[in-house]
Amino acid sequence: MRAITFFTKLNILLQISSLLLPVTLLTGCWDRKELNDMAIITAAGIDKKTESTIELSVIVYIPKNAGVGEEMGGGNGGQGQQVLVRSAEGISIAEAISMLQQEFPRHLFWGHNEVFVIDEELARDEDLRPTIDFIMRHPQTRERSHIFISKQKVKNIFSLNPPLERDLAEVLRNLAGLKIGVDITLKDLAEMLIGESGTAALPYIDILSPPESQDKKQTIADIIGTAVLKNGKMIGSIDASTTRGLLWLRNEIELAVVTVKPDNTEGYVSMQLLRAYSRLIPKIENGKWKITMQAKTEDDLIQNGTTLNTGNPQTIHRLEQDLKADIDNKVKEALKQVQHEMNADIFGFAEAFHRAYPNVWKKYKQNWDDIFPTVEVTLETTAKIRRPGIVTEPGAYPEQEVKTE
Amino acid sequence: MIEKGKISAFQLALMMNPTIFATALLLVPAITAKHAEQDLWLSPIWAAISGLLTVYISCKLNKFYPEKSLIQYSEQILGKIAGKILGLIFLLYFLHLNGIIVREYGEFVVGTFLNTTPMNVVMGSMLLVCALAVYGGIEAIGRSSQIIVPVVSLLFLVMTLLLVKDLDPKKLLPVMENGIMPSFMGSIVPSAWFSEFILMAFVLPLLKDSGKAMKWGVLSVLSVMFLLVITNLSTYMLLGKLTIKDTYPVMVAVRYISIADFLEHLEAIVMAIWVSGTFIKISMFYYSTVLGMAQWLSLSDYRPIVLPIGFLILVLGHWAAPNLQSLAHFLGTSGAFYMLTLQLGIPVVLLCIAWIQQKFQQKKDGGQ
Repeated sequence: MRAITFFTKLNILLQISSLLLPVTLLTGCWDRKELNDMAIITAAGIDKKTESTIELSVIVYIPKNAGVGEEMGGGNGGQGQQVLVRSAEGISIAEAISMLQQEFPRHLFWGHNEVFVIDEELARDEDLRPTIDFIMRHPQTRERSHIFISKQKVKNIFSLNPPLERDLAEVLRNLAGLKIGVDITLKDLAEMLIGESGTAALPYIDILSPPESQDKKQTIADIIGTAVLKNGKMIGSIDASTTRGLLWLRNEIELAVVTVKPDNTEGYVSMQLLRAYSRLIPKIENGKWKITMQAKTEDDLIQNGTTLNTGNPQTIHRLEQDLKADIDNKVKEALKQVQHEMNADIFGFAEAFHRAYPNVWKKYKQNWDDIFPTVEVTLETTAKIRRPGIVTEPGAYPEQEVKTE
Repeated sequence: MIEKGKISAFQLALMMNPTIFATALLLVPAITAKHAEQDLWLSPIWAAISGLLTVYISCKLNKFYPEKSLIQYSEQILGKIAGKILGLIFLLYFLHLNGIIVREYGEFVVGTFLNTTPMNVVMGSMLLVCALAVYGGIEAIGRSSQIIVPVVSLLFLVMTLLLVKDLDPKKLLPVMENGIMPSFMGSIVPSAWFSEFILMAFVLPLLKDSGKAMKWGVLSVLSVMFLLVITNLSTYMLLGKLTIKDTYPVMVAVRYISIADFLEHLEAIVMAIWVSGTFIKISMFYYSTVLGMAQWLSLSDYRPIVLPIGFLILVLGHWAAPNLQSLAHFLGTSGAFYMLTLQLGIPVVLLCIAWIQQKFQQKKDGGQ
C-alpha cells in the first residue's frame, strides 16, 4: 500500500516536472537582440572618399536621451542630442558597414532605417547599382526607405541639427512624404533601374541656408529639385520649378500653389491645387512616336493681388487659361531639359509605348535612346478654378478700383 | 482500420487549402513570374486544372475502394508485389517531399527572421509540433485547421486590402503580350503544387460524409486558386518586374505596407500566416506518410512510428539541398515534373487500370 502511494507521488512529481520543462525554452530566442543591444540606424548615406573607397555615414538614435532632451530645453546643447553620427570608410558599402560596426558597442540594426542619401560626386562617378543591390539584399533594410541624392557631402548634411524634428532622417522622410519633389522608395528605384529605359529620377537635396544670425548647424536639408540617373549613374539635375513639370508628366503632383501674372494688370494671382490628375496616351502614326499628356486640375483661388473682380465668371475663365499656360510651360521646360538635353526617359514613355504597342515595342526597344528625344509631346491640359475662397471681389481694394471688365 | 477518427468533408477542404497555399504563397510567385511576367495572375487558373483532375481521380478511386487508401488499393489494383513496390515508392516520395517542405519552411524563417539560428533547430521544433498533431490523429489536424485556416485567410485578405493604395494596375498591361504560352509555362510549377491534392486519397476513407467529398474538394481547389490569383495580382501590381528578382515577393510586398506612418512593419503577420499554414501542410504530409507506412507494413497502430518518421523527415530536410538557390532551382525545374509524375501521372494510370478491371468484373458478373 505504502509503495503504491510512493509511486503515485513520484508519478505526479514526474508529470509536474515534465510540465515545467517547456519553461526552459521560454527564456528567449536563439539570436535574441534586446533593444539595449542595438544601435538603431535611422538614416544612412554614402560619400565618395577616394578614387576607390566610399565613406558610409549613419545617424543612430540614442534612446536614453529621448525624454531628457525636451526637459533640459535648449540650454545644454550636447546633452539634448538624441542622435549620433558616425562614419567609416570602405571599398564597398558592405565593407564600410563592418568597419562601422567597430565604432559601436552595439549591433547595428537596419530595420528602422528609412532614409538613404547618396552623394552627388559618387552618383556621377560610379554606378549605383552595386550599392542598390546591397540595400535590397539585406534582410533588414526596408523596401519603403526613401532615397535621395545630395549636392553636399552626406557627412556634412548628417551633422546638421534640425530645430524642429528629432533628426535629419525624420526631416527627409517627411519632406518626401509631402510630395514636393519626386518621392522615390527603394522599391521604386530598383523597379526604374530594371525598367524599359534604365533611367531613374531621385529627389535632389541641399543644405537649407539658415538665417544669418543663427548657428550654421541649426538647419535642415531640403529638396531643391530632381537628380536624373541613367544606367545607374547620375547624368544631371533639374530645379524645383522644372520638377513640377516632371511631376505632371508622372502623375505624381499633389501639393502645389501656382502663381500667375494675368495680362493687363499689376500684381499676381495665386491658386492652390486641390486635385490633379494626368495620363499619357501614346500613339504611333506613320512611324512617328507621339505622346499626348492629358492633365486635369481643380484649384482654389487663394490670393488675388490684382484689382480683377474674381467674383466674375469671365475673370475666372481668364485665370484658368493663365493657369493652364503655366502648367504647360513647366511641362515643356521639363521636356526640354530631360528629354532633349539629357535624353533620359524618366517620364515613363517607354512603359506607355510598351503597354499600348507591345509588338512594335519589341522591334524598337533597342533603339529607344534614339527614338526618345524625337517623341512628339502634345499637352491637353484643362484647369478649373472652383472657388474664390470666402471673399469674391478683391478683399482690400475700394469698390471703384475693382476692374469689372 | 488503423485510424479510428472521422472528419467531415468540410474539414478536409479546410485542411487541403493551406496544404497547397502555405508554401505556394512564398516561392511560387517568383517562379511563375519568371515565365509569365505580367500574365502571372493567369497561371494559377491553368494550374488549378491539375488540382481539379487530382481531386476527381482521388474521389473516383475512393468510389472503387471506399474503405482503402492509396497505399492499400494500389496493392489490389496492381497485385501484391507490384502494389507493394508502388506503395513504397509513394511513401519514399512523400518522405522526400515532406523533407523539402520542411526545408522551405526552414529556409524562409532562417533567411528572413532568425538569421543565425541553426536550420535544424527551426525545422526540428516545427516537426515536433507536427508530430504531436499527427499523434492526435486526423481529428486533431482537422480541428486545428478549422481554427487556423479561417484566421489565416482573413489575415491574408486584410494584408491585400492594406496594399491597395500602393498598387498600380497599369503594370499588368499588356495582357498576353506573347500569347498564352508564357502563362502556361508559368503554370507548370503551380500545377505541381496543386497536384498535392492527391493527399485526399489517404484521408477520403476517413470521411463521415464521403458523398460530399468531390464538392468540397473542388471548392478547396477553387479557394486556393482564388488566393493565388489575388497574391499574384497584388504582388505584380506592386513590385512589377521586381517580382522576378525577389526570393519571397509576397513578404516584400507585405513589408511595403504603410498606412498613415502607423500601420507598418507587418511582416510578423506573414510569418504567422506562413508558420500556421505550413504547420497544417507538414502535418498533412506527415500524417499521410505515417498512416500509409502503417498500412504498408500492416501494423495495428500508426503511433509508434510517428517519431521515427519525423526524424527521417528532418534528416531528409537537411539533405534536401545544399542551399536555397539549388532548392528553388530544383522546385522551378525538374521538381515540378517529379511531383506531377507521382501525384498526378501514376494515380491516372491506377485509375485507368482500376476502371478496366471494374469493367471486366462487371462483364464476368453479367455473364454468370
